[in-house]
Amino acid sequence: MKKSLMILLSVAVLCVIVFLSACSKDKIQEADPTEGLTKITEGYATGAAAKVQVYTKETSVTTGYTKFYIALYDSATGNRIEDAHIQLTPMMDMGTMMHSSPYENPASEEAANHLFPCSVTFIMSSMGGTWTLKIQVHNHLNDKEGSLTIPITVNEPAKSRQKSFTAAHNGAKYFISLIEPTSASSKVGINDMEIAIYKKASMMSWPADSSLSVLLTPEMPTMGHGSPNNVNPVHTGNGHYKGKVNFTMTGFWRLNLDFMSGTGVADTTQYFDVEF
Amino acid sequence: MGSPTCLNPITMKKVLANILVLTFSLAGFSQTQQPVISEDSSRIVELKEVTVTTIQKPAQQQLINFFRANNSATLEEILSRLPEISLLRRGTYGMEPSIRSFTGGQINVLVDGMRIHGACTDKMDPATIYIEPINLENLQIQTATAGFMSGSAIGGTINMKIAEPDFLDANKVTGVISSGFQTAAKSFYESARLNYSTGRWAFRASGTYRNNKNYRSGDGEEVNFSQYEKINYSFSAKYQYDQNTYLKADLLGDDGWNIGYPALPMDVGYAKARIASLSIHRENPSKLLYKWQAKIYGNKIDHAMDDTKRPNIPMHMDMPGWSKTYGAYSEAELKINQKQRLLLRADGSSTFLKASMTMYQPGELPMYMLTWPDNRKNQYGISAAWLLQIDSTLKLQVSGRTDLITYNLVSQEAKDQVSIFGYPSANRNDLLKNLSVLLTKKISQKIKISASIAYSERIPTASELYGFYLFNSNDGYDYIGNPKLNIEKSLQADLSAMYNWKNNRVQLSYFYSSLFDYITGIINSSFSTMTIGANGVKEFINIPEASVSGMEGSVIFKPAPAIDVVSTIRYTTGKDNKGNPLPFILPLKNTTSVRYQPKNFSVQLEAEAASKQDHINIEAGEDITTGYSLLHIRFGYNTIIFKNIIELQGGVENIFDRKYHEHLDWGNIPRPGRNMYIQFRIHL
Repeated sequence: MKKSLMILLSVAVLCVIVFLSACSKDKIQEADPTEGLTKITEGYATGAAAKVQVYTKETSVTTGYTKFYIALYDSATGNRIEDAHIQLTPMMDMGTMMHSSPYENPASEEAANHLFPCSVTFIMSSMGGTWTLKIQVHNHLNDKEGSLTIPITVNEPAKSRQKSFTAAHNGAKYFISLIEPTSASSKVGINDMEIAIYKKASMMSWPADSSLSVLLTPEMPTMGHGSPNNVNPVHTGNGHYKGKVNFTMTGFWRLNLDFMSGTGVADTTQYFDVEF
Repeated sequence: MGSPTCLNPITMKKVLANILVLTFSLAGFSQTQQPVISEDSSRIVELKEVTVTTIQKPAQQQLINFFRANNSATLEEILSRLPEISLLRRGTYGMEPSIRSFTGGQINVLVDGMRIHGACTDKMDPATIYIEPINLENLQIQTATAGFMSGSAIGGTINMKIAEPDFLDANKVTGVISSGFQTAAKSFYESARLNYSTGRWAFRASGTYRNNKNYRSGDGEEVNFSQYEKINYSFSAKYQYDQNTYLKADLLGDDGWNIGYPALPMDVGYAKARIASLSIHRENPSKLLYKWQAKIYGNKIDHAMDDTKRPNIPMHMDMPGWSKTYGAYSEAELKINQKQRLLLRADGSSTFLKASMTMYQPGELPMYMLTWPDNRKNQYGISAAWLLQIDSTLKLQVSGRTDLITYNLVSQEAKDQVSIFGYPSANRNDLLKNLSVLLTKKISQKIKISASIAYSERIPTASELYGFYLFNSNDGYDYIGNPKLNIEKSLQADLSAMYNWKNNRVQLSYFYSSLFDYITGIINSSFSTMTIGANGVKEFINIPEASVSGMEGSVIFKPAPAIDVVSTIRYTTGKDNKGNPLPFILPLKNTTSVRYQPKNFSVQLEAEAASKQDHINIEAGEDITTGYSLLHIRFGYNTIIFKNIIELQGGVENIFDRKYHEHLDWGNIPRPGRNMYIQFRIHL
């Protein structure tokens, strides 16, 4: 009884090994560029003869800086469109009023790894109204233009990644987004730190800001300590500020951020929380 | 005691043989008794076998013979009697030994030649706690001049040799059963050891159980968290291959639990050690290579600190630690001719260390970090000592050793964590060099002097290299390692004189050590503390210079055949490059004993006195320690009942119930007050 069971088990293990090795040999294919991404919607940009698929890294869209990856296909042949100009228009309809939010169109008209990366910074959740994202496509293959408007449900994340303040030095309203580190990407050690800063010029205009300097002070509120050798985020382009943050242990961390404009203080009350 | 040096193997062997023979003869075996100074029949066997082989100080062996404490004494209690040794005390258990105030990474603590590394970042588990006197054959203590022979070290070596099975009573189980009770900690001590031999095989097994409650201090107050409980067990098998060769296997286990550390914010939940070795020994007095042994070994320690019994802790935390070492060594002794001998050793070992800390705040994710980021130390060394008898009164000994040591972080997690301090690589390779020259001159039949000079180096410890916010409760600072530390170096001179007449002896030693790149913790205010309530953060750095010097003296005096007087004195002082005193140095201390021992009854009066220590290092958390004096009395009685030797012992320690602590006791936790003890042992 025991022996036959052993033989059976051995055969099964052998089969699995053969099966696995056969698989790996057969498929020497290019990796799927959307591997690991979540498709949130798809539709047709009527007029451009293009099918539009919208992907995100996270499984749901939350308030804050959100990276999108757009895949375009010729609606007739199904072939990928690798050369196109894409223009985003995010819009919040609050019933009594409408406003846009910061966004970044794809940096190039050439697809990167078959996809067009871009971003929208949702400054509030769908609790306050309805978010839509208009994607205008200029298909360079057929020189046709068209657009697709998709509704997007924006949830409030467990730990806020989006803050705003009215600057003390000029009275302008700034919106700051935490891009890195996320609770999922954080580790004990050196972590990349990236934030984006946008200024509200009007309800429809949210330009990137490069005028502020940032002072980063991480702390563990529960323990009352910080961490050494952090690098303050500095502007690297398009409102993005990059630095380094050190976590000396796992747990609940608060990234305190002070914003300065030259020697003038813009704000010293902002922070982002990360827990891992 | 004609042994001019511990490296004179034949004399050394004789000494050991004498002691063993004495032991066995006293224990009722039919052996010829040899004259050894200050023999003592009231407390016998294991502790009698404890010997010290400091260079040029064979007299220490008599000291040990005399100063062995009661039968249930822990190894720490025995060590504390030796003038070269002091113990850093954080609890009743797990005291950290130092040789002439050299401690931690400055000394080697070996178990029968094997390296073993404690698994506690707070040094709660020095290797000495894993050995019970019952499974100890002898204790070798070597100060700087020859202290690096089995491992690069600037302060010397403590080697605990494990007891071997013997062939004395073939086909018969022999053994000793002991039991004892002490009042201060309501502690029980039970132990047994058995020996059996048949044909070419001999076996030995031993077991010890200790159970200590909280002890009471001199004013009758209970010292909370001073309890501990442990068992220790060992098994050895020996196979006589031929007349000159035998093989030996040793297994040793030690399990301690519920170990309190009153001077620390946490206790120890458990500390488990497993030690195993396989060795071959060859001895042929007529050959050039007259003694040879080789051993492979492995050991591992699991250690877990525990704060669940402490009241008012700000946050519960788990602090486990792991240590795994394996290695091998080979030792050979060569007799080149009547005047020259050579001792050679080659060894290698690999030690893995890891310790972590997890703190729990309700409602939050656990806070986890590596206090010892996973690291491996590999060590390969060779050493040699050459002994030359220049003429009948003059001897020269030259010793040297070199070690190649590599340290590596072995997990990505560990590397990520150390990178926080800006070290792109924390791995290192070091070549360590040690050299010493010793001259011994017999000036007359009664006077002998010796002088030595030694250069030695030591590698920083894992804590000093990679320690991650290790909290030191004595100074209240978190300590951070520094992978770029230089190796620490020492230049030491040692002078010793001995005066012998009849059965009496006076001996005096003086040493001076200049330390370079001395490793110490210095406040770095750019770091914020990690431990709640800590005073700040210290980083390990090299300071250019420091010095340690001191003296030890002993008198062995036998005014009448039944009376022995033994007195030892020690004094050490140290300072850093700015002239500040080094921390953790004992003040002047004297122990004097008088023993009257007609036949099988003995009584001994023992006085212990230490002066005030005001050479203190405030930055290291020290304060002034007042002097103290204590008086102990001990009795012993031997008899034979039904052919079995029965030993009875009793005594009162700290008769006047003084409340005191030694300067090296963390947190000024008072030591036990009046302690009465009684114990008996039966030889089967």
